[in-house]
Amino acid sequence: MAAQSATATRSGLRSALPLLAPAYLWLTVAIFLPLSAMVFFSFMTELPLSGKPWAFTLGNYAAFFSQSLYLTLLLASLRLGLEVTLWCVVIGYPAAYVLAKVLKGRSREAIFLLVILPFWSNGLVRIFSWAMVLREGGILDTALNAVLPFKINIDLMYSYPAVIIGLVHSYVPYMVLTCYLTLQAIDDSLIEAGRSLGATRLQVLKRIIIPLSMPGLVAGAALIFVPVVGSFMEPRILGGRTGTFYGTVIEDQFVAVFNWPLGAALSFILLAVVLVILAVASPVLRRAA
Amino acid sequence: MAGVQVSNVSRNFGAHKALDDVSIDFADGGFYALLGPSGSGKTTLLRQIAGFDFPDSGRISIGGESVERVPVEKRRIGMVFQNYALFPNMSVADNVAFGLSVRGEPKATIASEVQRALDLVQLGKLGGRRPHQLSGGQRQRVALARAIVTKPRVLLLDEPLGALDKALRVDMQIELKRIQREIGITTIFVTHDQEEALTMSDRIGILRDGRLVQEGPPEEIYDRPQSEFAATFLGDANIFRGDATGNGIKLPDGTEISAGAGAKLAAGAKASCAVRPERIQISTGTGRLESANANSLKGQVSKRIFAGNNSTYFVERAGQTLKVIVQNTGADRLAEGQPVMLSWSPESTVLIAAV
Amino acid sequence: MMTTRVLEWLGRLYIWLLLAFLYLPIVIMALMSFNVSPFYQLPFEWTTEWYASLWQNDQLISATWNSIEIAVITTLICTVLGSAASLALYRYDFRGKKVLQALLFPPIAIPWLITGTAMLIFFFGVGIGRGLFAILLGHVALALPYVIVVVSARLQTFAPELEEAARSLGANQWQVTSRVTLPWIMPGVIAGGLFAFAVSFDQFVVSYFLSTPGQTTLPVEIYAAIRKGFTPEINAVSTIIIVVSMALMLLTARFFKFGGEK
Repeated sequence: MAAQSATATRSGLRSALPLLAPAYLWLTVAIFLPLSAMVFFSFMTELPLSGKPWAFTLGNYAAFFSQSLYLTLLLASLRLGLEVTLWCVVIGYPAAYVLAKVLKGRSREAIFLLVILPFWSNGLVRIFSWAMVLREGGILDTALNAVLPFKINIDLMYSYPAVIIGLVHSYVPYMVLTCYLTLQAIDDSLIEAGRSLGATRLQVLKRIIIPLSMPGLVAGAALIFVPVVGSFMEPRILGGRTGTFYGTVIEDQFVAVFNWPLGAALSFILLAVVLVILAVASPVLRRAA
Repeated sequence: MAGVQVSNVSRNFGAHKALDDVSIDFADGGFYALLGPSGSGKTTLLRQIAGFDFPDSGRISIGGESVERVPVEKRRIGMVFQNYALFPNMSVADNVAFGLSVRGEPKATIASEVQRALDLVQLGKLGGRRPHQLSGGQRQRVALARAIVTKPRVLLLDEPLGALDKALRVDMQIELKRIQREIGITTIFVTHDQEEALTMSDRIGILRDGRLVQEGPPEEIYDRPQSEFAATFLGDANIFRGDATGNGIKLPDGTEISAGAGAKLAAGAKASCAVRPERIQISTGTGRLESANANSLKGQVSKRIFAGNNSTYFVERAGQTLKVIVQNTGADRLAEGQPVMLSWSPESTVLIAAV
Repeated sequence: MMTTRVLEWLGRLYIWLLLAFLYLPIVIMALMSFNVSPFYQLPFEWTTEWYASLWQNDQLISATWNSIEIAVITTLICTVLGSAASLALYRYDFRGKKVLQALLFPPIAIPWLITGTAMLIFFFGVGIGRGLFAILLGHVALALPYVIVVVSARLQTFAPELEEAARSLGANQWQVTSRVTLPWIMPGVIAGGLFAFAVSFDQFVVSYFLSTPGQTTLPVEIYAAIRKGFTPEINAVSTIIIVVSMALMLLTARFFKFGGEK
């Protein structure tokens, strides 16, 4: 409308700049320059600070492609991300549906808050709490043996399933949140219209509800998949020796092996993978917004 | 108080000409309506006068002082917004006090001025309420009190009654007019409601596509529209198009329509005539015509709409549907399908040059 | 209808199962922190000795103070800078605005592992190095986009005519902002501040890469302790953290709906 564009042109970048500059300068210094620096460093043989001679090289990237270890680990991380995302869909979507379409009023509000509350609490501590449940002689073991007539040993600690359980526990609230937001925006009359036209519950779900909530599913999937692929703390704590993934290798380059240029190259490759995934998901995400 | 002069103001938004060389003179103490369809530039013009936006070219002065580069907060205007824009975090009294308080007036002055303004809009007892506790009409009054308490030089109203229902709107029209008379402030209000413009204002400016189409007192614009657009936008009109004959036109089928004395257009040029539906007499072909009604046409009733105090007849004539409004005098009503004679006087005919 | 009833009942049951999955490990951890046996042996015997011994652990206590200090400063900086930026993005239109808005998402979407290692490299390269200051720099950058998003969401509910009305009444830019706009967005600013506190206080990954043995935060200290071996003391401190951060988010929820209802 004419009235709006009139306000808009009243003042431009010049008025906005003093308010914007501090925030964006900070983001530049602490996020964007570091990311650029990382790309730069990934093409070096040595850190220029260490006093040793350095030169530009493609060696760090060559290492990634020539040593099958890194590629294998990246694939393992991608598989981990895929599995965790799938479990989050399977567990989170029905919960979001119940929240959005079955529960009503205050109880819905309270339970919704309860579901997403852990997401905003300390992730490290939540991962750690699983150690007590999963280890041999832990709660799961003791509880099952108390109920079952025969003796079994449950020791999931330091295993691949333990990593999956911990990560799903960490990220499933995200899926519930994004799916809930799109599901509750679906007008109930659409569902009733579908039923009135003779569709069964399952047909309504398949042909109306799931397509309409797709943006929420994709948003949730992207927001879970990306950090899981880059996870290292969770596999370290719950996976032990089996918990070697792409993220833990990057961590090692920085805190154990001190091969920063290689770490930077590995990080950058991960960043590229992440950006490709976000780019693929972005058309659907934009439709959601 | 002060008059407002807008001279040759233009404003473009990209390729769109929102205001195109508009000049209009708002005399001190008058009540003006800016009327036009949406997108006609009426709100843009009001915002130029307010100072929310500056013209690309042209001049605006308030009380003789040139203001086209003065920002809104320095223009000493009062404005009532379409949705009132009452501050939700303040009480009614604090809303009204806002303008005085940002000027740093002493507390005692503020309190008495606020009370006077609230009394003026008959809300003297509601100062402690919050905006969301008020009805639409009450919010409207608060917005008005807030706009006038600072004693602005000019009062600007942007579709002030648009959000109210019909009955309340009529009450508020009377109320607004009363308050305006009482304080004698130059008032400019934007509306797309022609009835509102006709009943409330001393003068009306009609805008279309960023241009001022016609400006003058309501009676003048209604009785002597200078364009087909003015004729049909303000009120209803039957438009006949043909070739000018000097003081009338000749329709394509040869029928001549004559306009009142004084109307003159060079013969041969394209022109049209506008006739208000209530000025046309309708009769069955057998009836006698009044001698003054020099213009007459034959037609056939295609539809009648009964509205209590009057009936509207739609009459088919040479592929054109003409509209005739007849007061309910208890006389026989005409049936659909009936052949009829339409007649009207040259004085009821407005001759309009084709653009 | 029978089937509808049964399905609804199953739905409710399912939600409670999910809540059990989400909360059981945390509850168990909390319980174990009050258990006498340091090896988590049952039967359960009540004690508060692990909490008592936390007070003797100077390393943990100093890390806790660091965490609190950094979180408070991060909150202050983020609310001021974030609110200012949100206001500018709301109020003005200019070329490149869409780009600036889009730039808020990389810090949120890129895994912290990448951001953290990139910060480590860059801060080292320009001489800032590691330590509490570097951690603060990083935390503010991570939390800032959240604050801008939350405050902007609140601003979306603000009617621009209110600012125009204030100006038409003679208020200057500062009066418009402080008396009309800020009071309206205050719930968003508070919620954004609480988010910033939570992001900083719970932040592990970035702090981990930017800390040094003497200058560290609580989550980093806990991670180091976990990798050395589990102790009931970690349970105790973890329980405190989880209670604090959940209380903080409940407080945030009071000021800001996460969407949904309204």
